[in-house]
Amino acid sequence: MMRLLGFAAFLAAALLQVTWAPGLAIWGAYPNLVLLMMVVITWRNGARAGMFWACWGGVLLDLTGPGPIGPHALALLAGAYVSGFWTRNVDKGSLSQPVLATAASTVLYSLILIGSDDTLGLPVPPLGLAFQLTFAASIYNAALMLPLLLVLGRAVPLRRQPA
Amino acid sequence: MERRTQSRHTGLFLVLCAAMLLLSMVTQQPWAAGARGYAKGAIEPMEAGMMAVAARVGAWTSVLGDISSLRTQNQHLQDENASLRKQIAELSAAGLDNQALRQALDFQRSYGHTMVAAAVVGRGPDSFSLTVAIDRGTADGVRPGMVVASGAGLVGRVREAGPHVSIVQTLADPQSRVSAFLSKSGLQGTVIGGPGSLEMQIDPRFGIAPAVGEWVITNGVGGGYPRGLVVAQVAAVNHNDAATVDEAVLAWVNDTTSLSVVLVITDFTPS
Repeated sequence: MMRLLGFAAFLAAALLQVTWAPGLAIWGAYPNLVLLMMVVITWRNGARAGMFWACWGGVLLDLTGPGPIGPHALALLAGAYVSGFWTRNVDKGSLSQPVLATAASTVLYSLILIGSDDTLGLPVPPLGLAFQLTFAASIYNAALMLPLLLVLGRAVPLRRQPA
Repeated sequence: MERRTQSRHTGLFLVLCAAMLLLSMVTQQPWAAGARGYAKGAIEPMEAGMMAVAARVGAWTSVLGDISSLRTQNQHLQDENASLRKQIAELSAAGLDNQALRQALDFQRSYGHTMVAAAVVGRGPDSFSLTVAIDRGTADGVRPGMVVASGAGLVGRVREAGPHVSIVQTLADPQSRVSAFLSKSGLQGTVIGGPGSLEMQIDPRFGIAPAVGEWVITNGVGGGYPRGLVVAQVAAVNHNDAATVDEAVLAWVNDTTSLSVVLVITDFTPS
């Protein structure tokens, strides 16, 4: 049942991302709701769960964008792995750590997405602009993480990682 | 124990990465385009529904916003009105302007192009994908490469077309290049896309200078776009004596965040 809810929640996040979120753009960047949800789940349920939901969320984003299906999933997977690594090595009770993990995940996600788009022959922005967008997106996502963690964190049950 | 957990996660990560890479490569193949189009089409009704809800909520919140900022907006509109009056006076005075704008705004009648109207059902999933998704596809005669416009002017080009949904690469894509001319001075140049604002490299002509406020209109050179589509308005001109071209910053006539209906020109084949 929880998994079904998770599928629906990620579907809603992906739809919101491609319909509402562009209207909230600041410096050309807009919030990545799927990435934010993925970091919250990784933070609370561990890297394994984060990577599973990264694949599903990424495929959904790929279905709404141009090009093949997979680059967003790949980029989100890297974000989940980094968040998972971060989670295991810091105090899980801290609120600043997930914010930092979100910024780091966003940077990695953006770099992998640009790299894979370039490899697959999809249009990519010039390097300077790409860095500017990545920087803006990482700040934006990190700023949204704290309220999201407080709201969504209560809905997603905390699961202890194996020691 | 910690190390074993870490290596297990790394193993899972690598397996999933390999699976996603494989999926990317398979769905990139031309023979998979049909299946990919159907898969993308499956999510389109949900996107359309969400867009409709977004439009309703947007209208509702804009009413609240209007009440709170009525005075500021009123002043802003008055300024805009004065500016538009000035523009109308300029346009009336210039025959070239008039003709070009009439052609651009009514290009379907002028050139007899056949078009398909489509609703925008979604936008790019990230800040790097400067695309919009529309609810028309190959079943409606839309094909990759077709030119897309709105009532205001040029939007971009169809990049991918599924049976009932297409993805349009907008002019905000930095790789976009459009050959165009300025409505008043008649100067020719190339419009270069960008997410913030468009740029135009203008070929200089002795004694003629580009001016702020001129309309930028496609000239049909190169066969990429039909002649007569409004692209943008000149917002600023940068002249450098040492440069071989003048550069202009353009205000695009469209905004991807507010586009709701577009027209796909179905009978123009880009060369």
